Amino acid sequence: MNVLEIDALAIALPDGRRLLHGISLSVAAGETVALVGESGSGKSLTARAVLGLLPDRAETTGSVRVQGREVLGAGGKELLGIRRHDAAMIFQDPRASINPMRTIGDHLTESLRFCEGWDRGRARERAIELLAAVRLPSPEDRFRQYPFELSGGMLQRVMIAGALTSSPELLVCDEPTTALDVTTQAEIITLLTELRASRGMGMLFITHDLNLAASMCDRVYVMRAGAVEEQGTARQVLTAPRAEYTRRLVAATPTLTSAGPAPARSGPAVSADEPPTPMLSVRGLSKTYHRSGKSPVAAVVAASLEIPRGGTLAVVGESGSGKSTLARMIVGLEQADEGDIVVDGTNRTAVPRTRDERLAHARSVQMVFQDPYLSLDPRIPAGRAIEDALRLHRRMTATDAAARARDLLEVVGLDAGHAHARPRTLSGGQRQRVAIARALAIEPDVLVLDEATSALDVSVQAQVLEVVARIRGERGLTVLMISHDLAVVRRVCDHTVVMRRGEIVERGETGPMLDDPQHPYTRLLIDSVPHPVMS
Amino acid sequence: MTSTPTLAIGVLRSPRTPRPGIVVLASVLVLGAFALAAVFAPFLAPYDPHAVDFSAIYASPTLAHPLGTDGLGRDTLSRMIYGARTALIAPLIVVFASTVLGILLGLVAGWRGGWLDAALGRLFDLVFAFPALLLAIMAVALFGKGLVAPVIAMIIAYVPYVARLTRSLVAAERSRPYVSAYRVQGFGGAWIALRRVLPNVTPVVGAQSTLNFGYVLAELAALSFLGLGVQPPTADWGAMINESQAGLLGGHFLPAIVPAVAVVIVVVAVNIIGEALSDRIGGGMPA
Amino acid sequence: MAPGSAAAPAAVGGSRTSAAVRRVAGKLGGLLLTLFLASLLVFFSRFLVPGDPVRFLLRGREPSAEAVAAVTAQYGLDLPPWQQYLNWVGGILHGDFGRSLQYRQDVTIVIAERLPVTLLLVVMAGSIIAVVGLSLGTVAALNRGRALDRLTLIALTTLGAIPSFVGSIVLIAVFAVQLGWFPSFGSGDGFLDTVYHLVLPSIALALVFIVLIGKVTRSAMVEQLRREHVEVATSRGLARALVVRRHVLRNALGPIITVSGILVAGLFVASSIVEAAFGLSGIGSLLVQSVDRLDFPVVQAIVLLVVTVFVVVNAVVDLLEPWIDPRSTAGDSAR
Repeated sequence: MNVLEIDALAIALPDGRRLLHGISLSVAAGETVALVGESGSGKSLTARAVLGLLPDRAETTGSVRVQGREVLGAGGKELLGIRRHDAAMIFQDPRASINPMRTIGDHLTESLRFCEGWDRGRARERAIELLAAVRLPSPEDRFRQYPFELSGGMLQRVMIAGALTSSPELLVCDEPTTALDVTTQAEIITLLTELRASRGMGMLFITHDLNLAASMCDRVYVMRAGAVEEQGTARQVLTAPRAEYTRRLVAATPTLTSAGPAPARSGPAVSADEPPTPMLSVRGLSKTYHRSGKSPVAAVVAASLEIPRGGTLAVVGESGSGKSTLARMIVGLEQADEGDIVVDGTNRTAVPRTRDERLAHARSVQMVFQDPYLSLDPRIPAGRAIEDALRLHRRMTATDAAARARDLLEVVGLDAGHAHARPRTLSGGQRQRVAIARALAIEPDVLVLDEATSALDVSVQAQVLEVVARIRGERGLTVLMISHDLAVVRRVCDHTVVMRRGEIVERGETGPMLDDPQHPYTRLLIDSVPHPVMS
Repeated sequence: MTSTPTLAIGVLRSPRTPRPGIVVLASVLVLGAFALAAVFAPFLAPYDPHAVDFSAIYASPTLAHPLGTDGLGRDTLSRMIYGARTALIAPLIVVFASTVLGILLGLVAGWRGGWLDAALGRLFDLVFAFPALLLAIMAVALFGKGLVAPVIAMIIAYVPYVARLTRSLVAAERSRPYVSAYRVQGFGGAWIALRRVLPNVTPVVGAQSTLNFGYVLAELAALSFLGLGVQPPTADWGAMINESQAGLLGGHFLPAIVPAVAVVIVVVAVNIIGEALSDRIGGGMPA
Repeated sequence: MAPGSAAAPAAVGGSRTSAAVRRVAGKLGGLLLTLFLASLLVFFSRFLVPGDPVRFLLRGREPSAEAVAAVTAQYGLDLPPWQQYLNWVGGILHGDFGRSLQYRQDVTIVIAERLPVTLLLVVMAGSIIAVVGLSLGTVAALNRGRALDRLTLIALTTLGAIPSFVGSIVLIAVFAVQLGWFPSFGSGDGFLDTVYHLVLPSIALALVFIVLIGKVTRSAMVEQLRREHVEVATSRGLARALVVRRHVLRNALGPIITVSGILVAGLFVASSIVEAAFGLSGIGSLLVQSVDRLDFPVVQAIVLLVVTVFVVVNAVVDLLEPWIDPRSTAGDSAR
């Protein structure tokens, strides 16, 4: 008997919208099955259906059987039984998933005390056992602590421990590592694989990352818009996808080893005798934050880098590496404590104050921000946002500005009709294109992409990066790309710089560096990226 | 990953804006009717509100007096129509003035932060310690009975509420990427604050101010009920209820119930409109 | 491979308690500062009135020259203002609020006589508000979107539109005059009789506040219900009632308690309306009476009393914050 058996599961809302169109999948005991999809694919919903966590008024048909017990339409006691003994789930954002106002110990012992009737002492022992099993250091101390005192990675371990209290046969993991750094992600994945092996659990692993799925799962289901597009072993799906969508998804997914298109090299070939002045030159840049009542944090320490005219440089690091602070200093949002920033020969270290300074700075460096939802003014239509930027920098009549804005929209692959669209009606990818068009309107020397595609779906990310590559080729734009994703960086940037705790630990040409890293941290980063297992 | 969105995102992410229901429409009509009554009172009221008629004390509703008369024979309907004036205009002044001042102060405090924000915060803390009605009563104690002093006192009392709300909204918006994006494009701080952040913030503040209108109306009417606001013989709903208390014990309910119902209807209408506005905007105090 | 720990756990014991002590001291300091500023405002407000402060105190009374001299001496009106203020504050710290002009008694005595009725009224109203407001808000939140929610919202909106003076006369008209179930006037003798007399007044007083608490409860709980940790607790097999109690209600307490703190002073002030309508001799009616009869020392004292109640209650709420929301000890960065 399979640990999980889903048969023609269909979910619709009372207003007629269909969310799932007949999903079928199975997970055998001890097997790990991945459910891969982009946003809106229905993968999270399917995961929740396993535990009966469906929206209130959803109309469901089909069957979901956990250890042979039917979940859909199960009565109160039945459902509680399944949740308490057969299956458990871990969620994406551990900080949101653990009650911030209760202690870790409370979270772990809750189900034992209230569902199984254990007394405090016994529950506490078991909880500490589990914390040790998930390799959380000093478990007894953690017991009394609150979630805000722990890091994301530690909280995720706590969540896993909580899920294991009932020794479930099936563990459902909903994007458990998406909110974590690459290195932490690797640790959690290692932990999960160990646990599933030692406990013989079946696992349903939800992710948007095809590589991650292929690196740890036996079989893969690919979902799109509420239906299963393809299924097979990891190897099959990655090397010989049958469905058109899967093929596109695989092509769009950057990997460290993929021989993707070499980064376009525009701009004059570097002559050996006289290297031209770099477009962007940063020397010895430092910034330290002083917070009241706490020790000062050195966000960036003596950072130096250079980008030649028309070149591309990536700054790679995890959270706390200082890469965002570095970007913000270059763009003029933060004042550096020490060091120089020189763009096209002019010193741009100081944060601009007067109007002239602001405009001049803006013409040197522009930025595309990470969050597509929040980086556009919600009240202002796309065209107007671009026009505002245009008219700030040069005298233009309204009609000329509108025409130019439409041109720019077309450059980024949108059409003139989008000029009147408010951000709320645009998708994430479309918004980022608008943001790029807006940045281009000012015709900057350097364009900074601060994790500009991190919040986008894989296929959308590929499209946006393609736009950037095309623009680079056409205009010879110099690009500084901030990212945590080595695979993306490999596709886009000639050179890369790796940052850790404010310092640059390694620099070099992207390809050779990723193939043969020198610094142990770089090696750690590369090793942490999921490698599809093709056995 | 992106944090829980608030304000601007409420607008961004709520795809369906429900069309105003019939209840909201009815509320607007009712409010409009009372507003018209206030403006055109001399043309609408059948009698002079001060006209005493001892031959028709506590009259039951008849064609001559559709809502009866009070203890001095004055027509209740006419007094109710005239009462709409003080009932509606005074709160309007309070809400308008407190909203304008509050938005200004809140914008400055939320945008600049620093010592100005701290100083204003202390000032607001001080005013908060005095419930609005208390400030109004104090004003009467100092400057005598009537509506002028209480209105000014209530403006002072409500400014901190508006300012606090504006401040937290502005402070939240200030940290959003789109504001940073404007800075990077080269726009100046003042322009961003006034031309881009403020318009994003005012709808929420406006919705709250609509609700405040109801509170102020009730408080000023209560003040008149206590005999400290509008003075007899001027017709005002609160004062009318005050004067009708004696008759109440004798079983004459109408002169008290009519103005009471008027107050309740207007406040309900204002609340419904205010809540509908809040729902549409989908924003509020950031989490 | 050792797990990365980006956040060092706060050192237990020592630094936590010292941080707590600093917080308490800070809050107390803020409380005293606000009280001080409020007392300044209360005292010096009469200097805002154009004209001679002496005349102001004696408005409406036809003072003979010696009466003026006596009052001037008694209230120290010939002293410089700041010294008058210090005398006044000094007196207060000894429990002396001056003398009532209308009663010719110590203000303290006049207020003390009337305080019990108001306190009882406020306590009764407070209980009604807590029970009804919380229940309505919880019911609405747990049934959001459904008929029960809409019904509750309608009830709340209508109730909230009934100011205390309207509520009072309606209750008097219906339950006192028409049905004769409750008395319409006075506060009775003896404890139980007083409670009986205060039933209608406390309901009238509670109405508007029920709505405020109900709305805050509903929105705080709805906010929590959509949080992920509630779903997680459900997924672990906890019964619904348990999840609501331990995760929704518990987390929603913060905003509810904060709002309650702000409302307490408002209750005291609103009691003046209800006391006037029902002829109760409490602090509220004393305030109105004193304004009417230009007895400024009493007005000053009552205003200061109400403000003190507000400041103290809110300081208590602030101090309770770490128990309600542990994140507050770490400052805003933890949110």
